Amino acid sequence: MRLRKTIKPTDRGAERQRANSSMFCRIIILMIVFGAVIFMGLLVRLFYLQVIQHDFYEEKAVSQQTRSTTVTADRGTIYDAKGNILAISATVQTLILSPLDVQEDNMDQDAIVNGLVEILGLDADKLRERLQKTNSAYEILRKNIEEDQADELREFIAKYHLSAGLYLVPDSKRYYPYSTMASQVIGFINADKAGAYGIEAKYEDELSGESGRVVIAKNAAGTEMLSRYANYVDAVDGDNLTLTIDATIQSYAEKILAEGIETYDIQNGGFCIVMNPNTGAVLAMASSPNYDLNDYSTLTDTELYTSLKSQLDSGTITEDEYWAQISSAQLEQWRDKNLGDTYEPGSTFKALVLAAALEEGVVDDNTMFYCPGYAVVAGTRINCSKHSGHGSQNLAQAVQNSCNPAFIAIGQKLGAEKFYDYMEKYGLMEKTGIDLPSETVGQLWSREDFTGDYGITSLATASFGQRLTVTPIRLITSIASVINGGYLLTPYVVQSVTDSDGNTVYNAEKQVVRQTVSSEVSSKVREILESVVSEGTGKNAYQAGYRIGGKTGTSETLVEGRYIVSFMGFAPADDPQVIVLLAYDNPKEVGSTNLTAGGYYISGGNMAAPMAGQLIAEILDYMGVEKEYTEDELASADVTVPNVVGCTEEAAAESLQSNGLSYRTVGSGATVTAQIPAKGATIPGNSEVILYMGEQAPTDEVEVPDLSGMTVNEVKEAFSSLGLYLRSTGTTDSPDVDIANNQDINAGSMVDRGTVIEVRFTNQVTDWDPG
Amino acid sequence: MFARKAKRDLTVEEQLARGPLDVPFLMLALLLTGIGLVAVFSASYASAYYESGSTSSYSYFIKQGINAGLGLIAMILISHINYQTYRIISVGVLAVSVILLILVIPFGFGKESVGAQRWIYIGPFNLQPSEIAKLGVILFFSARLSKRDTEKKAKWSKRTAMGRFLLFLDKIGFIELLPYGGVLLVILFLLYLEPHMSGMILILLVGAMLLFVGGIRLYWFFVGGGLAAGVLGLIILNTSYQHGRVATWLNPWADPLNDGFQIIQSLLAIGSGGLAGLGLGNSRQKFLYLPEEHNDFIFSIWCEEMGFIGAAIVVALFALLIMRGYWIAIHARDRFGALIVVGIVTLLAAQVILNICVVTNSLPTTGISLPFFSYGGTALMIQLAEVGIVLGVSRQAPAYRAG
Repeated sequence: MRLRKTIKPTDRGAERQRANSSMFCRIIILMIVFGAVIFMGLLVRLFYLQVIQHDFYEEKAVSQQTRSTTVTADRGTIYDAKGNILAISATVQTLILSPLDVQEDNMDQDAIVNGLVEILGLDADKLRERLQKTNSAYEILRKNIEEDQADELREFIAKYHLSAGLYLVPDSKRYYPYSTMASQVIGFINADKAGAYGIEAKYEDELSGESGRVVIAKNAAGTEMLSRYANYVDAVDGDNLTLTIDATIQSYAEKILAEGIETYDIQNGGFCIVMNPNTGAVLAMASSPNYDLNDYSTLTDTELYTSLKSQLDSGTITEDEYWAQISSAQLEQWRDKNLGDTYEPGSTFKALVLAAALEEGVVDDNTMFYCPGYAVVAGTRINCSKHSGHGSQNLAQAVQNSCNPAFIAIGQKLGAEKFYDYMEKYGLMEKTGIDLPSETVGQLWSREDFTGDYGITSLATASFGQRLTVTPIRLITSIASVINGGYLLTPYVVQSVTDSDGNTVYNAEKQVVRQTVSSEVSSKVREILESVVSEGTGKNAYQAGYRIGGKTGTSETLVEGRYIVSFMGFAPADDPQVIVLLAYDNPKEVGSTNLTAGGYYISGGNMAAPMAGQLIAEILDYMGVEKEYTEDELASADVTVPNVVGCTEEAAAESLQSNGLSYRTVGSGATVTAQIPAKGATIPGNSEVILYMGEQAPTDEVEVPDLSGMTVNEVKEAFSSLGLYLRSTGTTDSPDVDIANNQDINAGSMVDRGTVIEVRFTNQVTDWDPG
Repeated sequence: MFARKAKRDLTVEEQLARGPLDVPFLMLALLLTGIGLVAVFSASYASAYYESGSTSSYSYFIKQGINAGLGLIAMILISHINYQTYRIISVGVLAVSVILLILVIPFGFGKESVGAQRWIYIGPFNLQPSEIAKLGVILFFSARLSKRDTEKKAKWSKRTAMGRFLLFLDKIGFIELLPYGGVLLVILFLLYLEPHMSGMILILLVGAMLLFVGGIRLYWFFVGGGLAAGVLGLIILNTSYQHGRVATWLNPWADPLNDGFQIIQSLLAIGSGGLAGLGLGNSRQKFLYLPEEHNDFIFSIWCEEMGFIGAAIVVALFALLIMRGYWIAIHARDRFGALIVVGIVTLLAAQVILNICVVTNSLPTTGISLPFFSYGGTALMIQLAEVGIVLGVSRQAPAYRAG
């Protein structure tokens, strides 16, 4: 029957029709509910799970369905500017023991113990203990096994069939061939193989490369199903870095730091930056104390370590305190002072003030300053280094004297607003942006404070570089801008990045931030700063043959009696190729004499300048910059003694004079029978050669006298009578004032007559006010 | 089954029983059976491989194929049976199913499966008595409900209080419900002893829907629904087994390795399929991750391999099959035929809906297989036989008039 069909009314027809239409309606309801509505709901639910939540479930599913093995990428190598390797990764092996498998396979435990004790020198008892941990399948016995030992181990494992219980897995280790060199710049990688400090940290992304992956399907039982699907992503090895740092220059800088620290009883280390002022490339950056990159957690300060260790052993400090102290000492040695520390630059800052004043035209060569030995600012008396006063000085003399009252006057001529503008132009409130981590910013006044009513004292102290702090890298970068023609640059240590195939992916170029002063002003600044070295407080930095410009500095610190002595120098002065900032932190003063135990007067000019001068000369020699001698220098330049034995006196005299040498004769023969020094010896020009006429030259040795404290003339006299020759270095332009402070052959040594002894003279410089 | 007589010798009813069967319903059933076989092949591949010790991956597929073949033969044969015969055997089927349900419980005829005794093994076949019981309930209810309006009115004396009370009960339709309620209670009680929660739900639902279509007054459904909900709630609260199921349903991630494991694995399979799926045969979850991946949770693997598009197509086919089924019911020759079809189609619909709800974690987990898809026992054969019954009813539908 068709339920909707009208049925002829019978006696029950009406009732039946009603029943049928009710059934029809109710089936329709079921059809709608079970056939459509609920299924629509199911489709919505499926759409939600499969389309909207797809990513969520897929990620979870894939993570359980696949086994992903990481293929580590080789970390890139770090080279210095000349291609020397500073950091390199190598494959090493880790030896794993599975006591579980050793037991299950019933391996020869004695053989394992004996073999490993022999090859690796492991502790036999401890090894036996670990072999008993039979619920473990993974015991690391030794890490960082090098290839030769690994070969021995492989042979041993093969011989005793131990491969199930004892095996090697490859790992990588970072080597730093120069160990302590440039440690703070290079940095190290931590236990997780990630760069933690220095370039290793800054260039982590480039160096680390991208690890590859092998993804293999597995079933729920963990069995790999190679036939299902597998995905291989090759590891991309890390990029190699070539630094602007030159290992040779870096070693010079570190040597100079170490020497100075030793000589001057320096208590808190020091720092030194060598930079190419024209590009901003950092050639060397040293921070003392440093540490061994191959063993970075060991304290360089062994005294501190021993003392802490004994305190711990005796129970004076708790273990927590011990580790806290160790870790703070580690942080101290890992920190690069050149970037992470700030200090008051002191008089080195005057170079920046000078440039600003010249640029603004508020001073010129003819500007005169009068220094009575002090200046009064806002009712406060500020002393000059020379208490008696420098008297009347022109601009160059004021800089040469590092005269504070003169610079206070220059600062006032500039005015606080202009002065502050220049501090901003020099970037003193900003980081330099060098490509190293952890650079900080020094502290300066706000513009309101500096230019306000109470700013007048600040302006005065800022004029000679006190009461403001900068980082060493900031200072040298800013000063570089006033000697390189006026360009403030962004310093950098990474010259280029090359990928593992050797393609260059990045090459650093000079980046100019802004122009600070004009090139004319810059040239004037160089000229004045050169005169500081040739005639002023920087004269201890003088090196014959090189035109060095510079400025000394002696900075106060927040700690009474602790000074940072520094020197900023550059050369050649007419076309600077290198700029150096060298500083020693806290020379140890004896009493309140302002002298160190070695008798050195504590000041930048006495300590940092001579060291920086030597460093600059060494660097220029290394870089092959030609020496340019002045006439005086030329006269005393080294010459080779010609052979005049057998000549007549006249012939000998002519020969010697043509070589710039004088002579005196001993005896009265017609011809020269002997000469001192012998032919071929190298002695300073203008030296006197002794000619023996008809006599034999004495062959005895003479004793080297103690020269310390003698003036140049006194030394010359002493040597003349002994037949010794003087090669003087340092300052010799005042032969009656400059005193010897160093000789290359110690007093008391016996030497042949005619030996050349190098003596270093210094001029005591008072470039600051210790009182 | 019956000898072929010449057409002239046939009774009217016999002639009607030779009418054309409903082609759309047949096609939908065949299509779903075919897709189901493919799904079993893909889903069982890994299990068969590992269980056979890597020698054969087809064991489940072959068995299911045999079941399908036998089921199709049964379907065709049954579609030729004049469904009026079911009136006579309906009580018998019900009685047999009750006996089987009793046998399966205490006398050790059943084997343990999933912590419950539900199966009877006869030679190579294993049979769930509850499947027979479902059919028994459908036939019995349909037969009785179809005669509802022809039954004699009970005659009770209005003079006695008892008589008046009984008359009142009769008037509100309570007396009429007693046989149905009695049958349901007996069967539900036996299933409860197994225990067989999903069987209980399905039989209750199908019985209720038959009563609904049969014309029972609506307020009884509110009474019955309330009663059923109350009992269900009590069962859930009082048995830790069911209680845990509900907790797992609400938050499967609370215990991802034990209670929540199966449903999480099912969701991972469905969700990772995405819009287009991983491709037929490319399921990853079937590699021992998802338990029962070729029976109760076969649809999850289908979703993973065929994506939302493939899943939606199957859902749509089921919806069409069910709607066509109700269409056949509407066009059935008599109330009995209509009720049988409603019963069978509602049973199919309920199983499909509950299964998909379970695998998508829309309802707590209960062991309901997906018709035409799930591997296992004689279920597919019985489902195809039920399709045969529906087709048999469709043969006798009055010729559809075009226009």
